[in-house]
Amino acid sequence: MKTKKFFLILLVILNFKILYAIEPNNEILKNKILKNIRCLICQGQSVYDSQSDFAISMKLVIDQKINEGLSESEIYDYLKDQYGQWISYDPEFNKKTFILWGLPILLFVIGGVIVSKKLIILK
Amino acid sequence: MLASQIGYYSLILGLLMSFLITPICIKNFYNNKIIDIKIFSFSFLQFFLVFLSFFALIISFVISDFSNETVFNNSHSSKPLFYKIAGTWGNHEGSLLLWLLVLTFFIFLFIIKSNDQPKKYRILTILFQQIIIVGFFLFILSTSNPFGYLFPTPKEGLGLNPILQDPALAIHPPILYLGYVGSSIIFSASLAGIVQNYISKKWAKHIKIWILISWIFLTLGIMLGSIWAYYELGWGGFWFWDPVENVSLMPWLCLTALLHSILVLEKKSSLTSWTVILSIATFTFSMCGTFLVRSGILNSVHTFANDPSRGIFILIFLSILILISLVVFFLFHKEKKNEISKIYFLSKETSILINNWFVMYFLSVVLIGTVYPIFLEVISNEKISVGPPFYNKLIMPFLIFFLIFMSIGPKLHWIKTRFKKIKIQFFLLFIFSSFISFLIIKNMSFKNLINSFLISAAFYLFFITLKDFFSKEFSNLSQKISHFGFSLLILSILLNSLFSSELTTNLKVGEKISFKKGIISFESIENKKYKNYKSIVGYFRIEDNEKRLTILKPELRIYNQPYTITSEANIKTTLYSDKFLVMNLVKGNEYFNIRYQVKPFMIWVWISTLIIVLGGIHSLFKKNHEK
Repeated sequence: MKTKKFFLILLVILNFKILYAIEPNNEILKNKILKNIRCLICQGQSVYDSQSDFAISMKLVIDQKINEGLSESEIYDYLKDQYGQWISYDPEFNKKTFILWGLPILLFVIGGVIVSKKLIILK
Repeated sequence: MLASQIGYYSLILGLLMSFLITPICIKNFYNNKIIDIKIFSFSFLQFFLVFLSFFALIISFVISDFSNETVFNNSHSSKPLFYKIAGTWGNHEGSLLLWLLVLTFFIFLFIIKSNDQPKKYRILTILFQQIIIVGFFLFILSTSNPFGYLFPTPKEGLGLNPILQDPALAIHPPILYLGYVGSSIIFSASLAGIVQNYISKKWAKHIKIWILISWIFLTLGIMLGSIWAYYELGWGGFWFWDPVENVSLMPWLCLTALLHSILVLEKKSSLTSWTVILSIATFTFSMCGTFLVRSGILNSVHTFANDPSRGIFILIFLSILILISLVVFFLFHKEKKNEISKIYFLSKETSILINNWFVMYFLSVVLIGTVYPIFLEVISNEKISVGPPFYNKLIMPFLIFFLIFMSIGPKLHWIKTRFKKIKIQFFLLFIFSSFISFLIIKNMSFKNLINSFLISAAFYLFFITLKDFFSKEFSNLSQKISHFGFSLLILSILLNSLFSSELTTNLKVGEKISFKKGIISFESIENKKYKNYKSIVGYFRIEDNEKRLTILKPELRIYNQPYTITSEANIKTTLYSDKFLVMNLVKGNEYFNIRYQVKPFMIWVWISTLIIVLGGIHSLFKKNHEK
């Protein structure tokens, strides 16, 4: 019973290799970038999810930039230069966003202190 | 016309009921030993009047009475009957009326189902609930009257947004509202409990049912929305970290924490203050959600009604509610002296505390991620977007530890556990899980440390809960089912996101494209005409390298009223993976833009959510045989 299950799972896992990646490598990168940038004229959609004119031309731009040999972060930098921070779904860590990134972590630490105060550690 | 009149006046009468119920409640609170029967009758009458009003609105939609402003704005005579009815709550005014309906229904249900509770506590709960009810009545009547009158009567309505014309979305709002509104009962009951100093084991047992009910409906509601997004809105995505999704996730997280902490209160009468705070917070988050969505300050696909005056009303209302709860909490709440406030390190209480700690962290990430951009824009006029990368970075590393605690936590006993009770097999299973995740990661083209840890942890929880089903100890089956479902959910989401693959291209009829795994051929298109839309159906043959054939028929719908083009994905679902195909028009030529996706384990995302819910349902219906 147990071995059977084990092999079943193994079979599933080994099959992934066949399943994985029907697209060329460039496409993977392109789709990843498209999902991380906002369609500026849509209501809360990524460029990837949108079929608007803006999104279509954006897709062409990204294609071109990848072909020019720019790296992923270079492309983001280029886009932020052109359209501002609003376009990127991944906010930068800077003096305007340190609260955004830091506050949850700070709250986690505070929570940890409160929880540990409640506990008696058994010797 | 007539229906609108009836609806409007019964709404006003319904509000008057509140002014009858309140004095009776106050008199009854000081006088009799038993609860006044008039409270029952008037509460029922109030529910009935709101129901009548809602029913009248449905009738107006069914008969396409365009002298009603709401109907005119959101309906069209050529719409199928089902969507005329569903359109009733597919808009701002109607959905608020539905909210009010559930609100009055739930308080009536509370009154008849709480006979074993102290009289004064029940009356106070009704009173607090009436504050909320009056607030919603005023909100609807003053800013969002669903029975506005139009003269001269327009010949035709403007129609319902086609992407909302969908079976999953037709039932999504009512289910979600049952969850939201259920949390209002928890809110009122905990305030009443504080005033009466009644936050006890008995209270916990009684309120747990309401927590479970809200939690079940909220989970189902979120899932339905997500399913809808998957096949209608998205291009194969099912969770976008869209602000409106986030605001439904926040009360859910709060409720989940509450669901756990209430157990400590029920069994050990400990954590009273914390439980009360969570009860209040849950409803506050539900209300905040309404505020953020309705006021239109969020940039989202859901914002179908933007009206600043509504936002201000909800904001004031929300502040009043928060103020009331703060006053009640600080004036009346007393820590019980006999409460065991210290908790031993290795105990179930600890694991529940840890659960609450992590869930609150996730909540803070979602909350800050959602509201921070709004504040930043107000303060510095700078617009930033917070999307999936932010949430992934802040949530995923913590999820690893959360899953591990989730595996071990339920094994611990109340009060104290000795170290030797923790068996060696926990470690064996852990090694086994890590091994499996190693195999998976090895097969991938890119490596990611956090992903591999996360997969290990999810597998660990998976195996541990799976093992539990076969062990003889059948205590707390509901918890096992839900935790098992959760592990399955995380696993399917992870494997799905890691192994999804896709192909985007432009094709015209008769063309073929071959890719690594096979050939897609665009066979033909067919035009069809329906009552309220024209449809273009594409026939695609997909032949993979093993000569297996899949026929997919994605569709483009051109709705007449309002004029909108939607693309309906065609999805072939198997237990193993989903094959997903959408097509789109390319402007100005005969090419179609198609996107073909293979999404492994997609259906397991839904199945596992249902399993999680099943655990909740089991807990709701089980007899109290265990201690």
